[in-house]
Amino acid sequence: MTQDRYRCGFCLLLPACAAIVVLFAAYGWFFWASLFRPGAEGGLALGGAPGLHNYVRILSSPEELAILGDTLWVSLELTAVTLVIGLPMALAIARSHSKLFRGFILFSLAVTFLSGGVTRAYAWLIMLGNRGLINSWLQQLGLTSSPIQMVHNWTGVSIALVHFLLPFLVFTLVGAIKNVPVSVEEAARNLGASRMRTFLLITLPLLSSGIVVAAALTYSLALSAFLFPMLLGGGRVRMVANYIYERIFVSYDLPFAAATSVVFLAVAVSVIASFSALERLARRASAR
Amino acid sequence: MLKRTDLERPYGAVIFAVAWAGCLFLLVPIACIVLFSFSDTVYFRWPPAAFSLRWYANFFASEQFMRAAMNSLIIAVVVTSASLLIGLPAALGLVRGRFPGRNLIASLLLSPLIVPGVVTGMAFLVLFANLRVEFGLARLLVGLFIFALPFAVRALVANLIGLDTRIEEAARNLGASPWRSFFHVTLPQLKPGLLAGATFVFVEAIDNFSIAVFLVDTQTTTLPVEAYFYIRDFDDPTVAAMAAILIAFSALLVFAVERMIGFEKFLRMQ
Repeated sequence: MTQDRYRCGFCLLLPACAAIVVLFAAYGWFFWASLFRPGAEGGLALGGAPGLHNYVRILSSPEELAILGDTLWVSLELTAVTLVIGLPMALAIARSHSKLFRGFILFSLAVTFLSGGVTRAYAWLIMLGNRGLINSWLQQLGLTSSPIQMVHNWTGVSIALVHFLLPFLVFTLVGAIKNVPVSVEEAARNLGASRMRTFLLITLPLLSSGIVVAAALTYSLALSAFLFPMLLGGGRVRMVANYIYERIFVSYDLPFAAATSVVFLAVAVSVIASFSALERLARRASAR
Repeated sequence: MLKRTDLERPYGAVIFAVAWAGCLFLLVPIACIVLFSFSDTVYFRWPPAAFSLRWYANFFASEQFMRAAMNSLIIAVVVTSASLLIGLPAALGLVRGRFPGRNLIASLLLSPLIVPGVVTGMAFLVLFANLRVEFGLARLLVGLFIFALPFAVRALVANLIGLDTRIEEAARNLGASPWRSFFHVTLPQLKPGLLAGATFVFVEAIDNFSIAVFLVDTQTTTLPVEAYFYIRDFDDPTVAAMAAILIAFSALLVFAVERMIGFEKFLRMQ
């Protein structure tokens, strides 16, 4: 019965397919643009003969590769830090017996999550700025005489990015933890394992594939960070997304920006693919 | 001998302390910006000397901010309704339909979730420039709709997979027409997915920066883009007033979601 109701399943997808067509027309056009040089007319015009020169330029330029490498590495560090803070929060949400505590953590995460990117980036700008809250406290307490520079460098960008990434990571982890039956942990405890031992030998291995999934999401969000490095970095911190933006709005080189985006996208997709390979590995290991 | 209370508290003090510290880390900047929005001075002072509403007055008196807020609201409402109207049949087709290429369509449809926003934004910029779409609001509506659609589809697919189709079959066996069984049996069960999808799409449409910044023009901006320009060009807490309004709005939203479907269920629709 249900089968015949949805015999025309594809028809239901037609409007969504129109959206896909527009999206991939955009991606395709953009990729096509990466094969040219900026046109003499300026703006978004293209010129020259199609070729791979932009890609050659990227892969042979130390500056380009350094920015890409920095972005990949910093995102990894940020994912690790977010995981260290986020895993206990997710454990507390999934396992705490206090409804109030659970609710409080969820509320903090949700309000932060929903209050918007510019709001949070601006909040950190106010907190960490030279005349900001933290510096004025430090000076009042006499711990430092001149303000400590925390914005317009990696410190501010990293703190704000962890703040941005945390809700995504925790929300993804909570589901994974809830899938691990409490009874397994209780059995281990009853058999005399310490809390630490239970966590390390029982919970963590069962959780490994969930952790990889959450880390992959966090890593790909960190990779594509744009607003936070732009606002808190003040032009001195560049992640790939900011570099691409500058190529188009500062040096008006659309083809080069497009080529950089294609390389960036290829890297992002292969990172996500390797994370999912890792996830399968972790799931097979914990199934054994 | 293990005590019962020990078993009931499965995690130790470290977990508890880090979880509290995490909450503080999340909430302190939020509280700080709300406090700052009521400040009497241009710079943050602790403890605050005097409170005022001048930055709120400034925000509401600014023609640019009001126009941007209006645009953001229009975009959010249109994009949310369009995403649900198109996302619901799409999710039904993906979960219930049997036809070749289903997985391919699913991954193409969800691809904006993986592609960095700046790349999607620039791709739309190039497309709209070549198609000569001059009207900023049209660019924003189309661009943000295509970007936000996957959030609705993902929530609805998660909801649909969890449904027991036997209930619908029972309704059909008892003589209900396909439409009747859809509207009276299936749709009511999709309430959590619809609400979660609507919330995600609404928030993405209001909050998006990395795509919107490529599609705005001098006349038409959105709230986050306008706020970014303001922070770049001026140094006063007007944006803090805007931020405080958005925070109040999101707190209300959290309470509404909790009342309607419960937050823990909401998370499962992600």
